[in-house]
Amino acid sequence: MSDVNLSGADLAAAMPDDVLISVRNLKKYFPITAGWLRKEVGTVKAIDDVSLDIRKGETFGLVGESGSGKSTVARLMLRAYTLTDGSILFRRDSGEVVDISSLNERQMREMRREMQMIFQDPYSSLNPRMNLLELVGEPLVIHGVGSQSEIRDRVADLLKVVGLRPEFLLRYPHAFSGGQRQRIGIARALALNPSFIAADEAVSALDVSVAAQNINLLQDLQEQFGLTYLFITHDLGMVEHIADRIGVMYLGRLMEIANTGDLFARPLHPYTEALMASVPQPDPRGNRTRKRVPLKGEIANPANPPTGCTFHPRCPYAQERCRTDVPALREVAAGRQVRCHFAGELDLTGVAA
Amino acid sequence: MLKMNPQLSMPAERLLDLDDVKVHLPTREGVVKAVNGVSYHVDRGEVLGIVGESGSGKSITARAIMRLLPRNAREEGGHIQFRPRTGELHDLSALGRDSRAVRQIRGQHIGMIFQEPMTALSPVHSIGDQIIRTIQLHMRLDRHAARRRAADLLSKVGMPRPEQMLDNYPHQLSGGMRQRAMIALAISCDPSLLIADEPTTALDVTTEAQILELLKHLQAELGMAIVFITHNFGVVADIADRVAVMYLGRIVETASVDDIFYAPKHPYTRALLNSIPRLGVDQGRRLPTIPGMVPDPYSVPTGCSFHPRCGYSVAGTCDVRAPEQHIFPNGQAARCHFAEQLAEADAHV
Repeated sequence: MSDVNLSGADLAAAMPDDVLISVRNLKKYFPITAGWLRKEVGTVKAIDDVSLDIRKGETFGLVGESGSGKSTVARLMLRAYTLTDGSILFRRDSGEVVDISSLNERQMREMRREMQMIFQDPYSSLNPRMNLLELVGEPLVIHGVGSQSEIRDRVADLLKVVGLRPEFLLRYPHAFSGGQRQRIGIARALALNPSFIAADEAVSALDVSVAAQNINLLQDLQEQFGLTYLFITHDLGMVEHIADRIGVMYLGRLMEIANTGDLFARPLHPYTEALMASVPQPDPRGNRTRKRVPLKGEIANPANPPTGCTFHPRCPYAQERCRTDVPALREVAAGRQVRCHFAGELDLTGVAA
Repeated sequence: MLKMNPQLSMPAERLLDLDDVKVHLPTREGVVKAVNGVSYHVDRGEVLGIVGESGSGKSITARAIMRLLPRNAREEGGHIQFRPRTGELHDLSALGRDSRAVRQIRGQHIGMIFQEPMTALSPVHSIGDQIIRTIQLHMRLDRHAARRRAADLLSKVGMPRPEQMLDNYPHQLSGGMRQRAMIALAISCDPSLLIADEPTTALDVTTEAQILELLKHLQAELGMAIVFITHNFGVVADIADRVAVMYLGRIVETASVDDIFYAPKHPYTRALLNSIPRLGVDQGRRLPTIPGMVPDPYSVPTGCSFHPRCGYSVAGTCDVRAPEQHIFPNGQAARCHFAEQLAEADAHV
């Protein structure tokens, strides 16, 4: 069945037992070309030195603004992009640990039974010419799982699981609302019983009331099937609600990793503080009294990132050293990693619990 | 321009008044009552927030004010009155889409900004040319003075190197800077009213915070009123003085921003506020949700259109009669049969 045999005892040993997926020093550089010869004139460091562990059964939230590279990380983890450098260790259902960064396309296809993705835009991610049976059943057909009637039964089951009526089997995506289409995408992702799902802005395009329904669905499914999520979003309220741990990205780098409660109670990176302060709260009195100094400027051009700490031009606490020295992501407390020279020395404000 | 229509009258502080505005959109599947009897007003210098989910009719209502409705839209009644700071009273609902009168008002007295700046900006003209043309169209300034004013506007909206920026084209700017350029264009003739339709929805939070600060600052400085349309309750809490909540083409609740957030009277407002995850507030593992979904616009439920999803719905009343607006002593208004009872029940908790 599986010809993925790259795992060795050394790989498994490199990964603590409770970790499902371990990313080390992930890099993705895109070439910048110019002229009609498309000569390479530079590189965009879309992802630079990202390392993170996602534990079995947890929801790891990845937050950041557009251009921070959060979606690219997910795509690299599922090998939708080839990585420039780094390793991605994944613990299979069988217990075997595999470095997916070195797999070929055929081996990777086998892996995708266990790793799936849910996309933001339920309008463009579903083929309008396929009905629900074909859409949700496609992964089963590709992996040759079951006969036609078995697939039909499985798809009907999956629709029920995500809260859609099994009678909808032969309908096409256009007949469904945005929230329902998102559910179709979720059913499709669940078809092969994956252990890991990356959800890229999965509820960002939905209306408030529908987003809440789908978030609850994702949490129910996690409980029911023991799923592990990578939850990518720019919505801090949502990520606080759903995630166990959170990584904050800025310009292709992780700036901070912490347990959700710790992060919101006391951010240790100035960018995390700025993000939290920027979110307008559904609390008019609080907004009036809260000190909210908008962050200056805009995210830098990744083709020409600032020297030293990439956040320094916008950082209200920046010192001379930040302009010259690149800070490392370092562990400052148990389970807390921060990429700031002054982590722990600054008095940063979170949001009151 | 003043029409001697006995219906036309507004209190002195009033800038804009919508009375029972109805807009129907004929489609292949049937007629969509996109705006189904909407009334609201805006006083001088105030910020009215309009919140609602997609399909609630919040943007179409704004387009009726601007006389920019889709060409197939049918106005089935209602009045829209507008009195800019120059003092004359306009009956906007009587003006045609491309009439000379409305083109005077748009751009000069009413500015508009959108979610996507490229809806308002031309890709083939420089930022400066677009602002200068608008200024020259509505204000008696020569090209030189207009250019100076345009540069002032760009610096007022916080764009660096305004003189050089004038010669830039929209595609050369970042999303946040384009948003600023569009705001500069919208306020170029000192409008009395700015209609802002989801202007920060596509922006990142840090940029959104910058744009909200800018709008608040400009509003205070120029004394203009803003109709701010959004689906984001956080944004509306941040910028609005008063808030109107829309559902399926109707306003279900209107109140001061504090009353909407701390003492909502309509079940829909309450349910929506409950379903938003809030920073720093642990709502437990499950978010409270509103059952079902927004019905499709061709089959709006009878009676109160929210009744199939409402936790307080009473059979025989809510599914039969459309509720009237109940107005509380503090001015808060809720379109619910049981608004008063719900408020009383709250008071006893």
